[in-house]
Amino acid sequence: MKLRFDRRSVLKGILGGSAVHVGLPVLDAFLNTNGTAFASGAPLPVRFGTYFWGLGLTDTPTGGTRWVPTTVGPGYELMPELEALASLKDKVSVFSGFRAIGDGRANLVHWTGHASILSGVAPASASKFDAPSFDTKVADAIGASTRFKSIDIDASVSRQPVSYSTRSGSTFASPDATPLALYHRLFGPDFQDPNGENWKPNPSIMLRQSVLSAVTEQRHALMKGLGKDDQLKMDQYFSSVRDMENQLAVQLQRPEKAEACVVPQAPNDPTRISSVDVVNANTKVMAKLLAMGLACNQSRVFTFVHTSGASETYLAGQSKIYHQITHDEPTDAKLGYQPESSKLAGEVMKGLGAFLTELDAIKEGEGTLLDNSIVLAFSDTGYAKIHAIENIPMFLAGRAGRRHKSGQHIAGKGDSVTRVSLTAMQLAGAPIGEFGVGSMKTTNPISEVMA
Amino acid sequence: MERSSRVAVAFAALAAPCVAMAAWTKSYVVEWNEPAMYYGAKTGVIDPGTDCPRGTNPEIDWVKVLMDAGYTREEAEWLRNPANPTRSAVHGQNQMAFRGKDRANVYVNPTSTPDPGLIGVSGTLAEGIDLDGNPKTGFTSPHGERGIDNNFYKTVGCWKTYRGPRRLSSGALQFNDSMRNGAWTTVIVIVGKGNDPMNDEQVTVGFYVSADKMVKDGNGNIARDYTFSIKPDAKYEAIFPARVTNGLIASTKPVSGVLREPAYWPDLELERAQIKLTMQPDGSLTGYVGGYRPWRDVYQGWVNARGPVIEALTWVQLPAVYYALRRNADYSPSGARGEKTHISYALRIDALPAFVMTPDASQQAAVVDSYKSLAPPGSTRMARVIPRVIDGLYIDPNATHQAGPDAVILPPPNVANANQ
Repeated sequence: MKLRFDRRSVLKGILGGSAVHVGLPVLDAFLNTNGTAFASGAPLPVRFGTYFWGLGLTDTPTGGTRWVPTTVGPGYELMPELEALASLKDKVSVFSGFRAIGDGRANLVHWTGHASILSGVAPASASKFDAPSFDTKVADAIGASTRFKSIDIDASVSRQPVSYSTRSGSTFASPDATPLALYHRLFGPDFQDPNGENWKPNPSIMLRQSVLSAVTEQRHALMKGLGKDDQLKMDQYFSSVRDMENQLAVQLQRPEKAEACVVPQAPNDPTRISSVDVVNANTKVMAKLLAMGLACNQSRVFTFVHTSGASETYLAGQSKIYHQITHDEPTDAKLGYQPESSKLAGEVMKGLGAFLTELDAIKEGEGTLLDNSIVLAFSDTGYAKIHAIENIPMFLAGRAGRRHKSGQHIAGKGDSVTRVSLTAMQLAGAPIGEFGVGSMKTTNPISEVMA
Repeated sequence: MERSSRVAVAFAALAAPCVAMAAWTKSYVVEWNEPAMYYGAKTGVIDPGTDCPRGTNPEIDWVKVLMDAGYTREEAEWLRNPANPTRSAVHGQNQMAFRGKDRANVYVNPTSTPDPGLIGVSGTLAEGIDLDGNPKTGFTSPHGERGIDNNFYKTVGCWKTYRGPRRLSSGALQFNDSMRNGAWTTVIVIVGKGNDPMNDEQVTVGFYVSADKMVKDGNGNIARDYTFSIKPDAKYEAIFPARVTNGLIASTKPVSGVLREPAYWPDLELERAQIKLTMQPDGSLTGYVGGYRPWRDVYQGWVNARGPVIEALTWVQLPAVYYALRRNADYSPSGARGEKTHISYALRIDALPAFVMTPDASQQAAVVDSYKSLAPPGSTRMARVIPRVIDGLYIDPNATHQAGPDAVILPPPNVANANQ
């Protein structure tokens, strides 16, 4: 029997009066016999994303590095602050010694570094980029055929949503800043009713009934046409969606006590619990949702913010936030670095580890979703104590469908950060040969990591 | 091109008709500058040393400080809790300001609270210049010269922001990183009338600013021999008459002048300013610019940089800084009996050889003269260091919670519970 579904199919249904859509993961039925490409011969799509965290990693002028491997090339040793990447080390390349070059422009703290990486030029002011962020170029190149050209996510639990994705340089994307918002984007309908202002279906109804129930008939039809392995995969897939719904439903339940006591203005005063454990948990949940969205081909491009440049995160129970500690903690004379800052950097990197693990958990063809992705993970600063824009930590994670010769350490020796950016763009398959302005203009990607 | 070059008389005369001809010139760009702080420890920033036998001023128990100022423990702990939604994590906690008498803002009115105390330098060595010509007052230099006047160091030398090995204190790192990335550029022009640049009785040294930014080499160091044009500025300029003895350039007469300083308060206004600079064999220039500076500017610079943030990050109470600067001030422009409004100070300078051009970039600067008359109108106006900072506090008019002497500190119980 010929399967009525293909890799572009979307399960459709009606829920709460609104249309809902559920995308499909890449099933074996859609692939060739080797699982390396679609049955039509089209290659598995490479997904591209950026992952940002604030405050860099620990590498001090006195030589107390906690993240820069001592050897260059394949098989780098895992430095203490990279422990969270241990299980994925072979899929992650480390880039040290790259810098933002201002060409005379001042270092705008917690801004110039990542603005340079993303836009290729040191910005003139601290609220704008002077050029579009390059993720938009990649989205234009590889994201046009999906439901969302790009998905922007902020897991930071900051006071204001944070995104560094921009097409104009002055207006930044409005990210999904909660798991629920991301869930609605990926699996729910567009809640804006053209016939009524501010109307939205009750999300708790949506979750109780489950988005899957709205596509039951189509789901059953699909399952009948699948082989045993694909049926198992679909079961796992739908189960994981349901698990996620259950997690989100908990967040929807307003505690009895709070319901009775909260002052009227409280809902407009977002609770700020941005401790690093909460942010990391948030990162994991949102990464899981994103991974599903990517696997279902709803988008091929994403931007993800773990914590903002001037990060608000902190270790639960401490009175000082991470940002403050990077500045006020003296360098330990014996260790050569700031021990508390380093500890927090390690905690922050657990977020990246969890994020990548979720992408790697999705089986796709003969590998994983991460194997078919390339993620540029980077920060805003090198030595955070002085807001240095030299030696900004950057990583490329994922194998980009075998294009990325991953698992290497590349020492930049003062090269522009834009070389890493250009490498990421080309690994993602974007036809871009030149990036950056002035001293950061480059046509020279890092060939050592490109197959 | 040789920087130490003889310049034709007619050439110099065309550039500045009122200035005497120069027989030789040297020019530099300042690649590093920092307050001259003698470091007396073996390693570390906060560790004990001969300068600070008890180490730097210790981290402050802010809950105790707030309670001493009249807040309850519950209020104080709530204010110090990062999960407190009324606390801006990025910009500090504005309520910290209101701990003076009747909850006055201690940044604006530091004497509204008793002196919390700032541990100063108790060592006998210091870097700098003998500003008053009296070897019996002041410190001894590491090389044995007596009479070094540097009460600024005496006051803040055990504050961890200022303390550290050469070029490694956090304050120096922060501001020099900014300068080296383009925030400002200072150039130096030296001209002499004699035949030997290493020994010349008639030398003039000019400090100017340039709009041209420094360039870094592949290792991130400032590159030598780049070209900078003098930017006429109505404020930032200092010209010193001096002599050179075996490569040591020393003032022959104190002057008044203003330099761009690596600090939150960017104006280093010096009275009775002098220089002590050494021409090094590798072509670089190192040494000091010293003088007496208004101490209130220093205090105001730290307040403007957001008082609560500075206090939390640098382990001082700003009123203690105010009291200490006032206590150690050692100069009055109006005479010995006048109010001591100034404090002795020295800026340590490292400069690299560079080509410094006249303001119109038509020729290499071969004279040292004032360019203030060429400065565009308004060029003396100092930009606010950090926008939206008023009375030491970052003001967000849209914030739900505003600090103040009458602010309610603890939220209703339901809000507090919701955040736990």
